[in-house]
Amino acid sequence: MPVVELSYSNLQKLIGKSSKKQISESLPFLGLDVESEEGDLVRVEYSPNRPDYSTDFGIALGMQGLLGVKTGSIKLNIKKSNYVIKVDPTVSKVRPFVTGIIAKNGKVDDKMIKQLMTMQEDLHFGIGRKRKKSSIGIHDLDKISFPLTYTVANRNHSFIPLTSQNTMTITEIIQNTEVGKDYGALLGNSSNVPIILDSKKNTVSFPPIINAAVTTVTHKTMNLFVEVTGINKQDAEDMLAIVATILQSAGFSLYGVKITGANNSSPKLVPRKLIISPNLINDSLGLKLTTSKIITSLKKSRLDAEAKGKNIICTIPAYRFDIFGPMDLVEEVALGYGIQNLEPMMSPSQTIGQTNPVSVKLKLLSLTMVGLGYLEVLNSSLTSKRILYEMTNRKPAKIISVRDSKSQEHTILRDSILPSLVENLSRNIHASYPQKLFETGTIFLQGDPIDEKVSFVGVSAHQDASFTEIKSILQSALKSTFNLEIETATLANPIFEDGRSASVLVNGKSVGIIGEINSQTIENYKIRVPVVGFEINLSGLIFD
Amino acid sequence: MSQVFHEIEKKIISSLKENPKQTMEKLEESTSLSSDQIRRGVEWLRLKELANVSESITILFSLGKNGLEAFEKGLPERRLLDLLKDGPKKLQDLQKELGSIFGPAMGLARKNNWIESNNDQLSLKNSSANLPGEITLKTIGKNKLSKIELDESDLSSLLKRPDFIVQDEIKSKEISLTDNAKSIEISDSTGAIDVTAKAPQVYVARTHPLKDTIDEIREIFVTLGFSEILGSMSQPSFWNFDALFTPQDHPARELQDTFYLDGISAKKIGTPDQIKKVSASHKQGWRYLWDIHEARKMVLRTHTTCVTIKHLAETKPDEARVFSVGRVFRNEKVSYKHLVEFNQIEGVVVGKNTTLRDLMGIQKEFYKRIGITKIKFWPTFFPYTEPSLQTMVYNDRLGKWVELFGMGIFRPEVTKPLGIKKPVLAWGGGIERIAMLKYDLDDVREFYNNNLNWLRSATKCQ
Repeated sequence: MPVVELSYSNLQKLIGKSSKKQISESLPFLGLDVESEEGDLVRVEYSPNRPDYSTDFGIALGMQGLLGVKTGSIKLNIKKSNYVIKVDPTVSKVRPFVTGIIAKNGKVDDKMIKQLMTMQEDLHFGIGRKRKKSSIGIHDLDKISFPLTYTVANRNHSFIPLTSQNTMTITEIIQNTEVGKDYGALLGNSSNVPIILDSKKNTVSFPPIINAAVTTVTHKTMNLFVEVTGINKQDAEDMLAIVATILQSAGFSLYGVKITGANNSSPKLVPRKLIISPNLINDSLGLKLTTSKIITSLKKSRLDAEAKGKNIICTIPAYRFDIFGPMDLVEEVALGYGIQNLEPMMSPSQTIGQTNPVSVKLKLLSLTMVGLGYLEVLNSSLTSKRILYEMTNRKPAKIISVRDSKSQEHTILRDSILPSLVENLSRNIHASYPQKLFETGTIFLQGDPIDEKVSFVGVSAHQDASFTEIKSILQSALKSTFNLEIETATLANPIFEDGRSASVLVNGKSVGIIGEINSQTIENYKIRVPVVGFEINLSGLIFD
Repeated sequence: MSQVFHEIEKKIISSLKENPKQTMEKLEESTSLSSDQIRRGVEWLRLKELANVSESITILFSLGKNGLEAFEKGLPERRLLDLLKDGPKKLQDLQKELGSIFGPAMGLARKNNWIESNNDQLSLKNSSANLPGEITLKTIGKNKLSKIELDESDLSSLLKRPDFIVQDEIKSKEISLTDNAKSIEISDSTGAIDVTAKAPQVYVARTHPLKDTIDEIREIFVTLGFSEILGSMSQPSFWNFDALFTPQDHPARELQDTFYLDGISAKKIGTPDQIKKVSASHKQGWRYLWDIHEARKMVLRTHTTCVTIKHLAETKPDEARVFSVGRVFRNEKVSYKHLVEFNQIEGVVVGKNTTLRDLMGIQKEFYKRIGITKIKFWPTFFPYTEPSLQTMVYNDRLGKWVELFGMGIFRPEVTKPLGIKKPVLAWGGGIERIAMLKYDLDDVREFYNNNLNWLRSATKCQ
C-alpha cells in the first residue's frame, strides 16, 4: 500500500480547529494506517482506492469532515477560459484521449513541488496502472503558448526533455533515460508516438513518458497547466478530477480547458447522483439510524445528501470515483457515523457446525503417529530441485515451477514429501536420537491441470533403524487408524537403497513406497545414522 | 531425618567417615567396590552436594638405571670402601675392579674424607654404617613411593645424582564428605530408592504447534456453527481474482506478488454463465476488455477466499456459515515477518444476521476464545468487500496494536454475477500471526524450520 508523509502542524493549518491529538487519533478511522511517527511528522499508509489521500491537502479534506470542522462535498469552482487543446485523429491508434485543466495563482514552493511529484507518482502507479491507463503531466503555464495540439510524431522528433540540457530524439529518450527505459514499452513498436505541441510547435510533453524541460515547474512558477492522457476517456478524467480537487484545496483558482476533435471532449468534472434506501444502510450496518442521521454521516464523509421520499439522494463529487454503488455509500455512512461507535453484536447461530471429514481423518492419523512416538513436522509445498531431486537421487518427472520466485528455496511444487523429511533430519544431526518424524500434506502432480493429493510420510533415524521397524510402524498406523492391512512387494526406487526398497500395497493396489534411504543421500546430508521411511498417498485410499 | 541411599553410596559414605580423605583408588580398596562403581557413586554424592572432589598431584619416586644398579650392588662409594676394608690397595687395581664407577666413587670418598692416599696406595680412613642415600635406596627398592614415605634429606642426596631417581607426577582425585554429609543419617530400610534423584530427559512425540493452533481455531468456528470446506491450493486466476472483482491489470495480480504456475492454464474455469457475468461486471466496473486467457492462468491461491466464493457460487445458499483453512502463497522475500507460504482461515455468513455489527460480533467472540480481549476495529480497503474493516489486537509483549483479521461484506459486484442473492459476510486472516502471539515467537520462520530442539520443548498449553 502507498505511504504518504504528513506534518501535523501543516494538517492543523489546513483543517482548521483541531488538535494534534484529535488528528492522530482520527487517522485510523479515515482508513489511514499509521506506519511511524516522529515529532511533527507522521507516515501513513493509504488505500489504493483513495488516491486523494496521496497529499496532506486530500487528507485534510477528509479529516475536516470526520472532525465536523467542515462537512458536505467539495465543489470544484472551474472558471471559463479560452485555453484549447485540439486533438489530431492520428492519436486514436496510440493514446486516444487527452484532458486538462489550468490552475492559477497558487503558491509553488519546494514543499508543494515535492507533494505534487509524490501525488503524480502515486496516481501513475495506482489508478494509472504504471502509466498504461492514464498519466499526468504538470507544466508551468507561462512557458506555453496556447492553443495546443495533441498529435503524433515520429521517433526522430526531438526536444529537450525534463532534467536534461540537450536535445534528444524520441528514440534516444526511450533508450537512454530512466523513464524511457521503464515506460517506453507502453508505446509498443509503433513508429508514431503521442506528443503535445504548443502553438509555436514547441514540444510540451511526450506522454506517457516525459515532459519537455522548458515547462519545468519551479518555485518561480505561479500558474500550472495539467494534462492527463490515456487509453480511456473516463479514466483520464477521473485522474484529472483528483488533481483538480487537490490543486483547488491548495489555493489555486481553476480554469477549464476546451478539448476538441477525434472523439475527445472537454472534461466536465461534475458530481454524480446516487439514490440509496435507508433500509439498505441500516440492514447492512445493523443500526437503526434516522434519515437525518444518515445524511449527517454522509456529509461527514464529504458527500452531499438529501432526503427524497423514503430514499436519500446522494451527490458524489467527481474525484470520488471509488464509489461504485449503494454498498459503497453504506461504508461512507459507517465512516461518517464512526466505526468506533459500532458495537459488536453476537447473534446466536442458526446453523450447526461440522469439521470436514478429511480434517477429522488426518487428525486421527496424527494422534496415532504421536502414539507411536513420531513428532509432527511441517514443510513448505514450494521447495527446490536440490531438496526434491539432487540430494536424494530422485528423477524429476514433470516439474511444476512457479514463475519469478523471489526465493531460491521456493521454486517448484513438491511431488513428494519424503525428501523434505530427510532434509529435516540433516538439520538436526546434533539433536538427540532416535529421531522419528511424520507429516501429512499436499503434493502436486500434473493433471487437468493440477492433481493435488494428500500424502502421509514418516521417517525414523537412529543407530538401529531398519526396514522391519518402519514397516511395522506403517502397518500399525494404518491398521489402528483406518483398519487397513498393508503388504510390501519388492520395487526399486532411487530414493531407497537397492534391496531395501518396496512398494506398499493395500488390497493389491500400490498406494506408496517404503524402504531404507540410500547411503548416497545419507552421505550427501552428512547424517550419521541409517534412515528408513515411507510415503503413502491417502487420496483415493481413505478419502476422495 | 534419614535419607535413602544406594548401596554404593552407603559404602562410600561409611568409608569416608572412618578415613575422611581418600583417593578413588583408596576408596576402591577400603570399600571393595569396582572402580566403575566408585566413580558413579562419587558422582551421585557430588550432585547431591554430599561429597567434595578435589584434584591433587602427587609425585612418586622410583629408582632409575643407576639407582637400581646401586640397589643391587651397593652405592659406588660403598663398593670402594668395602674393597678397602681389608687393608690398603693399589689405585690401578681398584680402577680395574670398579670400572666406570671408580671416578664418582673416588670423588665422593675423598670429599667426605673417608679415604687417604699414600703414593699409589689407597687406604680407609673413616667408615659409617649408613652412607647418605643408602636408606632411601633400601626403602624404595623396586616400588614407587611418595615423599611422605621417605626421609627427605636422605633422598635429596640421591636426587642430585644422574639416573638414580625417577619422579612421576600422579594426578589423583581426593574424595571427602561435605559438612552436610557428616551429619546425615543413612536409612537402612531395604529396597528403598532415592525418589528425589533427577530422572533422565525423554522427549515426547507431539503434533506440530502450528497444527495445534489450527485445530484450536477450527474447533472454535465449528462450535460457532460453521462448517469446514476444502479447496485446492492451485486455482485458476478466475476464482482467485476475477470472481472477486479484482481487475486483470490490478497490481496484486502481477508476477512480483503472485505465484503463477509456469505455462499452466485451466481449460475449465467456471460455467459459461459465471464467466459471462463476471466478465460483464469487470467491463462495467473497471472499463477494460476482460481477457479469458488471463483468467485461465493457474496461480497458487493468494487467499482462501477463492475456496469460499467458489463454494457459494456452486451452492447459492439462502443461509450458510462455512469456513476454510489452509495454505496460501505470496511471492515475497522470506524474512522474520514474511513467508512465501502460510496458513489462512476464511469464513463467511450468508443470509440471516448479516450486518456489519454481527460480523464484528463473531470476531470479538473468536478473539475472546483464543484469549484476546483487547481489540478494536478500523476501516480498511479490500477490492471485494464493502464496507471493509480490520481488527487490531493489543499485544502486551510488544506494547502495541497489531493487525489481525480483515473482514467485510462481499461487494454486489462479486455476488451478483455468481447468482448469490443474499448478503455475505466474510472475514479471514493469517494463522501464523496468532500462533506467534501464542508461542511468543518473533520469527515466523520457526514454524517451518523443523528444529527438533524447539519442537521437543514447545509447551502445548500456552
